Amino acid sequence: MLKKTTIDKLPELAAALMEKGTLVAPVKEDAGFNFREITDAKQVDLIFHNTIISPKSAFFPQVEDFVRYQTGKSILEAAPVELNLKPTFLFGVRPCDVKSFQIMDIHFSGTGVVDPYWQKRREATTIFGFAFDMNEAADAAEFYHTLGIGAADPEGSDIFMVRKDDILMLKVITPKGEKLMTGLSFLTDASADEIKYFDDYITKGYDYKTCYTCVDTEAIAREFEAIFDNADFWTKISDACLSCGVCTFVCPTCYCFDICDETLFSQGTRRRVWDACMFTDFTLEASGHNPRTKVYQRLRQKVCHKYSYHIRKYGVISCVGCGRCTRYCPVNIDIFSIVEEAVKAKWYKRL
Amino acid sequence: MTISFKQIEEKLKTEAKRLLESGQASVVLAYGKGYDEKHPMPYVARNPSDVANIVFNEYCNYNMARYLVRYPAGTKIAVAVKAADSRAVIQLIQEEKVKREDLVLLGIPVYGMKNPKTQEIIDGKTTGGLYNPVLYDILLGDEVHGQAIQSPYDVLAAYELMDKEARFAFWKKEFDKCIRCYACRKACPMCYCDPCFIDQNKPKWGDKSPQSHGNLMYHLTRFHHLAGRCIDCGECSRACPVDIPLYLFHKKVAKECEEMFGQAAGMSIEDKPALVNFRVDDSDKILE
Ligand code: SF4
Ligand code: SF4
Ligand code: SF4
Ligand code: SF4
Repeated sequence: MLKKTTIDKLPELAAALMEKGTLVAPVKEDAGFNFREITDAKQVDLIFHNTIISPKSAFFPQVEDFVRYQTGKSILEAAPVELNLKPTFLFGVRPCDVKSFQIMDIHFSGTGVVDPYWQKRREATTIFGFAFDMNEAADAAEFYHTLGIGAADPEGSDIFMVRKDDILMLKVITPKGEKLMTGLSFLTDASADEIKYFDDYITKGYDYKTCYTCVDTEAIAREFEAIFDNADFWTKISDACLSCGVCTFVCPTCYCFDICDETLFSQGTRRRVWDACMFTDFTLEASGHNPRTKVYQRLRQKVCHKYSYHIRKYGVISCVGCGRCTRYCPVNIDIFSIVEEAVKAKWYKRL
Repeated sequence: MTISFKQIEEKLKTEAKRLLESGQASVVLAYGKGYDEKHPMPYVARNPSDVANIVFNEYCNYNMARYLVRYPAGTKIAVAVKAADSRAVIQLIQEEKVKREDLVLLGIPVYGMKNPKTQEIIDGKTTGGLYNPVLYDILLGDEVHGQAIQSPYDVLAAYELMDKEARFAFWKKEFDKCIRCYACRKACPMCYCDPCFIDQNKPKWGDKSPQSHGNLMYHLTRFHHLAGRCIDCGECSRACPVDIPLYLFHKKVAKECEEMFGQAAGMSIEDKPALVNFRVDDSDKILE
């Protein structure tokens, strides 16, 4: 089922979704775009490349409150925070970011230990994927093509959208998407030409070149294992690194967090807050010992977690090539170049 | 006079090679190739053969003084410094974090540096209004003279027109954007504390979550820890992924410090940091 509307009618579509629940969509802000809960249907803006912060925050917000308590009072008065979710619509997600949700599912539910917060948010949410604009050149930091993700890859979306000039085409991908779409009666049917354009666009998306290197997961894992102890290699790679939190906070597949008790006057909250393996105190133990005191050890952890340990443990690379870490790194450390460098000698072949 | 970035690059390579070959320096902190022209990187040359990777162009904004404290005391380091960066080195010498005799300063006289994100020329806005390094051993080009100098405090004009409430509202709005990635403090050459106050949990000075009160705590404390020490390189503001104009606060404090103590940060290795030094004739304005 391929439906369509026009870009100038976007507020109408947004309003319809807001009536049914919570709408989270790209919004233009001072420094760029970000996904935000929409309060005014006119805020939704689809003329963007990608957001600064990845849409993971829709399922894994930077701050998630678990328990509220009063200091000095009995623990029995502490109350867990209930998640009362309305149906949620995550609108305008790029294909590489949609793919990241499947990788994150491994950690938040796939291993059998289910994180109820992630799970509930996932279940409540319908995902509107949105193809990249292939008339634009890919950003130099992006490399999702390397990871087998097309620029118009509908996999993982409930509804997938392609923009053609001022027309927005929407296609149902899953039963969840279908249920929603039947309720959006003001969308009109696409013509036969448009259906063809849509299908061709998706196919073309797999040939759209971002940075590309031929990746064999097994070989990558092996190469990274082989250079794990090569301190010279890692020191060189991390000479510029500031050991800040930018790359992990903007990344759609980074999921480390800290559990903090935060108190304001006597009001306490136990909450989950994003943490980053690039922070100095991430591995600081209660004894005072810190197994990763050097910057290179931290950057090695970040890269090898994604490109080595994750492959060995779960069979997939924990990166979707969205390019955010590179784009927002204050010193332009490029994860793609690190991977290329690590595997250069043996099998790497640049197309 | 126009700046030849290529010429500076050539000189930087020549000097780096000479220093590494003669053993006068065991590392050279400079700039290297990034993933494209617009995105060069801080670069460390350790061998004469590394020198080929050195670049210099209008996007080499990094303050290489930031990396000095990473090397063990006594390491002989050559460091490329633009005007503001040289002030950072001076300030670090004043604070006894590095020793003058361990350093070879490769001074870069330059203007027309650009922010790769916005393409904006950043000389007046975030690099202290100086074009020539304050201190250097080798100058990689001719001193810049005759180029109009903008006061580093010019950009404060609009900010200073705001009253107290408006300023508070301005900063509250800006800090609410903060995601607490700490790129600002990590990019800053003067933020070398380990651990930083905000990472301490006994006592805990501020929350980890990016909420208004914690963000305010982090930023106001950091601003004050940099009072009289910030050398106005602007790296903090450029590092910020959400473009918070931290430089406005730093400049405002720097201006007041200069007025009160008659001394700008990092201008002479003979100075003592303004807030560490006590002089009988010091201004009492701060107590008013
Ligand atoms: S790679 Fe870049 S963004 Fe990541 S910690 Fe290092 S400096 Fe920060
Ligand atoms: S590691 Fe970088 S490119 Fe890969 S998913 Fe994370 S932000 Fe995107
Ligand atoms: S506070 Fe900002 S402008 Fe000042 S020295 Fe640090 S990084 Fe440079
Ligand atoms: S760099 Fe920006 S977002 Fe990150 S902690 Fe500093 S002000 Fe906040």
